[in-house]
Amino acid sequence: MRRNRKFYTAVLLLTMVMVLGFATFCMASEGGNVPPISQPAGHTPAFGNWFVIGWTAVNFFVLLALLYKFAYNPINAMLEQRSSTIESSLKHAEEVKIEVEEMRKETQSNLAESRKEAQEIVARATKAADDAKNEIISKAKEDAVNIKNKATAEIQAATEQAKVELKDTAAALALLAAEKVLNRAITDDDHKKMVKQFVNEAGDLLC
Amino acid sequence: MIFGMFDGPLFYLGPIPVDHLVVTEWVLIALIGTIGYFATRDMQMVPRGLQNAFEMIILWTYDFFTQLMDKEHVAKKWAPLLTAFFLFILCSNYSGLVPGAANIPGYQPPTSNWNVTMTLALITFFSVHIAGLSEHGGHYFKHFVSPSPAMLPLNLIEEVAHPLSLTVRLFGNIFGEEMVIAFLLFLAPFIIPSAIMGLSLLLGAIQAIVFTILSASYIAAATGEGH
Repeated sequence: MRRNRKFYTAVLLLTMVMVLGFATFCMASEGGNVPPISQPAGHTPAFGNWFVIGWTAVNFFVLLALLYKFAYNPINAMLEQRSSTIESSLKHAEEVKIEVEEMRKETQSNLAESRKEAQEIVARATKAADDAKNEIISKAKEDAVNIKNKATAEIQAATEQAKVELKDTAAALALLAAEKVLNRAITDDDHKKMVKQFVNEAGDLLC
Repeated sequence: MIFGMFDGPLFYLGPIPVDHLVVTEWVLIALIGTIGYFATRDMQMVPRGLQNAFEMIILWTYDFFTQLMDKEHVAKKWAPLLTAFFLFILCSNYSGLVPGAANIPGYQPPTSNWNVTMTLALITFFSVHIAGLSEHGGHYFKHFVSPSPAMLPLNLIEEVAHPLSLTVRLFGNIFGEEMVIAFLLFLAPFIIPSAIMGLSLLLGAIQAIVFTILSASYIAAATGEGH
């Protein structure tokens, strides 16, 4: 930009120097008369009007300056701004992409963790259920054994009692029968002794 | 006063005479400047309307001349000047086609006067040599004696012929076109000149492009590796 200004100023200066030089030369050679600027109809315009040439050079560089001010500089600035905006947008998009990728990975790892946890929970529940089942079964078995034992003991006691009762009943019956057979020929003491012996032997055989 | 010609300065600014052409140039420059001012007054990130159109014109010309030159930094340096040439010549060529312009006494498009075209050609001439000197330094003068010192006169003639051809080409085309339109308007005021005026639109754009392309190619040649 600054370099451009230098070059353009050089061009303008050289043009003006040339214009002024020729103008001075022409005016001196024509005795100070300004040549007619335009020609009457049908003639080509006069050449070498140094005032028009000088004005045009100045005007052109004024136009160049105006274009710099109102066109090149703002448009260049805007282009730079645009390119920087696009660059930052692209960068931002890249960042967002990376972020999304990270989030996706995190979600996947979370999902895998959740799955693992769920499996663990299921496994734990299954184990607890198994434990409970086993406990219930063992308790049931224990109960069954207890009940059986108790029943056996009761049966045993009942059997013993029945034996005792049977012995007594048998003794009484034998006594009665012996009394009837012997018709009180033996004394009560003999009788009882005999019967008891008998019953004891019979009872041993019975049981 | 036929053909809108008018002799003598329009007014004097101190001792300096101001011709119609100069006033026309002022108007054109003011017009371009005003459009530029309103287009870039409130620059938006997303261009719209006038800003969009103006940006497009400037960037198109800028890109166009940048592509013409091989060296990027040279193009960056001189493309603004060439864009200014293009806009100035285009507006100036079209100024002859503004309806009612022919009724203004003394009015003529600036580029139909060869004082103006010569000024533009002189600016090109100095730009070419300054570009060459800044790019190659003292080596630039070698190209005047290449391939052998015997070619010096021819090379010098070539250097003078460039601005001369630029001057005469632009002046001749626009002046001729203006004359044809003026004659046709004189002979048949309706309809017939409009065909030529349509052609003039094309011609004005072509001449503006030709002048700037040639200027660009001269600058590119002066800064190129050939020297």
